Amino acid sequence: MSVVVGWLDEYFWGAMVILRVFGVAVVMAVLFGLIGAAAKLSRSRIAKGLASTYTVIFRGTPELLVLLIIYFGSAVTLTSLAQALDPEVQFVDIPPFWAGALAIALVVGAYMTETFRGAFLGVDHGQIEAARALGLSTLQTFVYVRIPQMWRLALPNFGNHMLSLMKDTALISVIGLEEIVFVAEIAITVTVKPFTMYFVVALIYLAITTAITGAVAGLEKYANRHLERAR
Amino acid sequence: MSFDVALIVNSIPKMLDGLELTLELLLLSSAIGLFLAVGTLLMRISGLWFLAWPAMLYIYVFRGTPILVQIFVIYYGLPQFELIRESVLWPVLREPFGCCVVALSLNAGAYVSEILRGGVLGVDRGLHEAGKALGLSAPQRFIYVTTPIAIRLAIPAYSNDFISMLKATALASTVTLMDMTGVARTIVAKTFAPYEIFIAAALIYLSMTWVIQRGFGLYERYMSRYVKE
Repeated sequence: MSVVVGWLDEYFWGAMVILRVFGVAVVMAVLFGLIGAAAKLSRSRIAKGLASTYTVIFRGTPELLVLLIIYFGSAVTLTSLAQALDPEVQFVDIPPFWAGALAIALVVGAYMTETFRGAFLGVDHGQIEAARALGLSTLQTFVYVRIPQMWRLALPNFGNHMLSLMKDTALISVIGLEEIVFVAEIAITVTVKPFTMYFVVALIYLAITTAITGAVAGLEKYANRHLERAR
Repeated sequence: MSFDVALIVNSIPKMLDGLELTLELLLLSSAIGLFLAVGTLLMRISGLWFLAWPAMLYIYVFRGTPILVQIFVIYYGLPQFELIRESVLWPVLREPFGCCVVALSLNAGAYVSEILRGGVLGVDRGLHEAGKALGLSAPQRFIYVTTPIAIRLAIPAYSNDFISMLKATALASTVTLMDMTGVARTIVAKTFAPYEIFIAAALIYLSMTWVIQRGFGLYERYMSRYVKE
């Protein structure tokens, strides 16, 4: 275990990188999920069709493949665009950080679309009618009536999606993001202790996912506090 | 840059060669995983702490870490120990295929045991009592009353997990295996046409997902044939 100590600072910075990817990706995934759910619940057939296509594609394709399409696809596109402007350019890509965050957010956003859709449907329709009767606009109803009531219903599944999102960040090492799997790879070339180094990675992930599970459980308790009193 | 449809059509047969390995990984790991899941489930609901705790620890560890890291720990990590290199398991753990099957099976075992537990807990207590009243022993009640209903209740979640497993087999390409994603990555490295090749691979995965969903949907309907609306 003493070999690990010298690498702890590297692991720490690697962990910071995955936490940052996670933070960015959660925000994007929630946005995709909300837009997708709104489209699925809208009356427009085009919006419904687009949202269904989105969920079918991103729930049925391996995360790794989505990541590779986005990273290498955008690299090819951007490089050819850049070469059209300046023939000297060799290679242009989206930084792995952003390509990775976008890819995992697209996948998890597709799952969140379904979760949010179910949660919106779980809010009593009388609430929306009451809001309309009080003269709230559609946007006000959405922000002040529907969202505060749906997030409680969405939480258990949302927690699971956060865990998948966290674990998906490990994939981004494949396109060269310098996070903890990458740190382990470097450490192994020096120390030749592959088990120890990858085991540390697993422990870091386990610690983070445990923290997420705890946080979600706390949020659930907070969200359901009005039910506790009623008992 | 252009989008070459002919390249998609040409690359699909090559990728179907990788499909065989993908299916082997999927079916083998799911079968072993199901076996592990039933064992873990029985340990968890046994009511004996020295069986239940290890089962919970196993589930906790495998659900809390990325599959990619599990594959790396097993494939790159285990050979660090002389004990492993001299054990009977070495012929399995020496090959990337064996390591992927081990990692994916252990993963499936952890997830599926939770799904099965949900199914078992969903069985109406009254049925249990009815079984008792009819004089069935505890193992008989579990096999003839709880199990068939628990399976039906667990199908939708299991179907989702099976699809996750299919998606997880793509990770085998990170340890040099030539599954469908592995083949696609090799072709991209040669042609540098990521859109065409990766989208072709995605299309094959999507059609497999569709088949799996349909299949489990039909099975669920068959298992629910006695359920009245």
